Amino acid sequence: MVIKVEDALRADRLTELKHPDEAAGVPAVARKEGRAPQIVPDANQQTPAVGQRVTRPDSRPHITGQTRYIDDLSFPNMLHMKILRSEHAHARIRAIDVSEAEKMPGVVATLTGREIPVNSFGPSYQDQPVLADEKVRHMGDGVVAVAAETEQLAQDALARIKVEYEPLPLVLDPLEAMNDDAPKIHGDSNIYATKAIRKGDVESALAEADLVMEGRFSTQMVEHVPMEPHATIAMWEPDGRLKILSSLGRITLGRADVARTLDMPVNRIQIVGTIVGGNFGGKNEITTEPVLALLARKTGRPVKGVFTRQDEFVSSTTRHPFIMDYRTGVRKDGRILARKVRIVADGGAYCSWSETTLGKGAILSVGPYRIDHLEVKAYAVYTNKTTCGAMRGFGAPQVCFGYESHMDDIARELGIDPLEIRLRNAFDEGSSSPTGQVLHSVAVKESLETVAHRVGWREQTS
Amino acid sequence: MEITIRVNGQERTASVPPETTLLTMLRANLGLTGAKLGCDVGDCGACSVLVDGEPVNACLMLAAQAAGRDVLTIEGLGDFQELSPLQEMFELFSSFQCGFCAPGMIISAKALLDKTPNPTAAEVREALSGNLCRCTGYTKIIDAVMEMASRGAAESERA
Repeated sequence: MVIKVEDALRADRLTELKHPDEAAGVPAVARKEGRAPQIVPDANQQTPAVGQRVTRPDSRPHITGQTRYIDDLSFPNMLHMKILRSEHAHARIRAIDVSEAEKMPGVVATLTGREIPVNSFGPSYQDQPVLADEKVRHMGDGVVAVAAETEQLAQDALARIKVEYEPLPLVLDPLEAMNDDAPKIHGDSNIYATKAIRKGDVESALAEADLVMEGRFSTQMVEHVPMEPHATIAMWEPDGRLKILSSLGRITLGRADVARTLDMPVNRIQIVGTIVGGNFGGKNEITTEPVLALLARKTGRPVKGVFTRQDEFVSSTTRHPFIMDYRTGVRKDGRILARKVRIVADGGAYCSWSETTLGKGAILSVGPYRIDHLEVKAYAVYTNKTTCGAMRGFGAPQVCFGYESHMDDIARELGIDPLEIRLRNAFDEGSSSPTGQVLHSVAVKESLETVAHRVGWREQTS
Repeated sequence: MEITIRVNGQERTASVPPETTLLTMLRANLGLTGAKLGCDVGDCGACSVLVDGEPVNACLMLAAQAAGRDVLTIEGLGDFQELSPLQEMFELFSSFQCGFCAPGMIISAKALLDKTPNPTAAEVREALSGNLCRCTGYTKIIDAVMEMASRGAAESERA
C-alpha cells in the first residue's frame, strides 16, 4: 500500500507529535517557567513520519525522464562554453593569444581572467580567481573560456589558444608545504588556517599514564562525482538584470560571489537554483557563473556551460586529505587520561571551505570519549593540487577514521576488547564536548550495545 | 547528413554533422532529454537507451549507426499520467533521490526483464552494473527490479 505524502502529513497525524514535556505530563506553567524548553526530541522517541511509506513528490518526473536539469534546458540563440585549463600545476602566465581561436567559424567570443572586474572569490578568503590571470596554482585552474555555436566547436577552439607559461617550483606534499623553504603558493606562508583546542594539563596527564600510544593516520582526496556535472546558463534581461540558472546548491552565497566578481549590485542578479543531479557539498560555491555572465554580456546571447567529467575531477572541489598524528595516554584498565592530536589538512590550491572543514575536524578529532586533558592543533595548508572544499561531513569522516583506528591499536596493545574500551570511555548524558558543549540525547553506549547484540559480537569474541 | 531513426515507435529525421552521437541527436535535435550525459565515455550509463532491444550507451554510438533502427528511450515507456508497471515499481520503492541516473537505470532494468523475466539478484546486479548511482540508491533499485520480476513470474504462473 502506498501512503501519499499528504496523508502522512495530514493535520490529525501531526497533532500526535507532542512536545516531549507535554507528552510526559509536565504542566504548561512548569514547562514555561520551570525548565528550559526541550527543542530536540528524546532519543528513541517515535515521530509520525518514521515507519511510514511515502511517495517522493519528485519521483514521477524522475522516472519518466521529465525532470529538467540545467543541461536539459535551452534558450533561443544560446551559445555553449568550454574552458581551457592549465598545463602546469604551478606557473606564471606570461602571455595568452586567443586570436587563432577567435577566427574559427562558429566561435563567437573568448574571455580571460584580466577581463573579470574583480577576479577573486571564496567563502572564507577570496583567494581564488574565477579564471587564472597572473599565475596558475593547480592543473584545474581555468585560463581561457570560449563561447561558440556548439559544444563541439567550443571544444575544438581550445586547441587553437596559445598560452605561454613560466613554470614555478611545485609543492605537492602538505607536510613539505609547511616548511619555511617550501615554494609559496599564495603570499609568504602555505599555512592559511589554524585551529587549536586545549583542555586540562595534557603533559602532566601523559606523564601519569601506564601506556602512551602514538599513531599516524592519513586519508586520501575524494571527488564527489555527482552524476550531473556542474551546469549553468547565464543571460541578461532587457532591463539590464542578470539571470543565472545553475546547479549551484547555495544560491544566496553564489549571488553574493557573482555580485562581487562582476562588481554589480546584488539586487540586479537573479539566480535560479534548479533540480540538482547530486551535490554532496561539491556544488556549494560558484565555479563558472561569472564567466558565463560576462560571455553572455559580450555576445548578447544566453550562454550555457556544462563541465566535462574531466573538468569535474580536476577543477571542482574535493574532500581534504588529512594527515593525523595521535598521542594518547591510557591507564592499564583502558581509561583514557590524555590525548594530543595534530591534523594537517591538505587544502589544495585555494581555501574554499577549508576553514569550516578544519574547525569541525578539530572539534570531532578527539572522538566521542570522555577525556579531561586535551590538545588539538590543526592546520590547513596550500599545495599545487585540486582545491579541497565542502563534502558531506566537513572533516568528520577523516578524523573518525583516525581516532577509531587509534582506539583499536590501544585496545590491542592493552589486550582489551575493542568494544569494551569504547564503553569504558564513551560520552554519557551530560558529558562535555572538547569545546565545552554539554551534550544531551547521548546514546553512544546504547548504540554500541545494540550493534554488538545484533551482530553477536560477544558470542564471536568470547 | 540526414539521419532517420525509429524512436519510441515514430520515424524521426534530423540533419546533423557526421560526428554527432546518438545521445546528442536525441537530446539536441529531437528534444528527448530523458537520457542524460554524465561522463561522455560510456562509464556511467546515464545515457542508456535500447537499440533494437539491446541496451546501449548512447554517448558512444554515432547517430548514423542508429539509422534505420529501433530506439527506445525513457520517454517511450509510461508517461506522467500512466506509468509502465516497471516505473510504478520504482515509484513504490522510492528508488531514486536526485534522479539523474533514473532514466538509464530503468532502461537497463527493462532490457534485463524483457529477456530474463525472473532473474536472480546476482543477475540484476550484473545487468545494472553499467549504471552508476551516486546517491547510493542501489539497494532500493535492485529491490524494485526483484519485486517486478516476482510479480511478473506470479502473473505468468496464473496465465
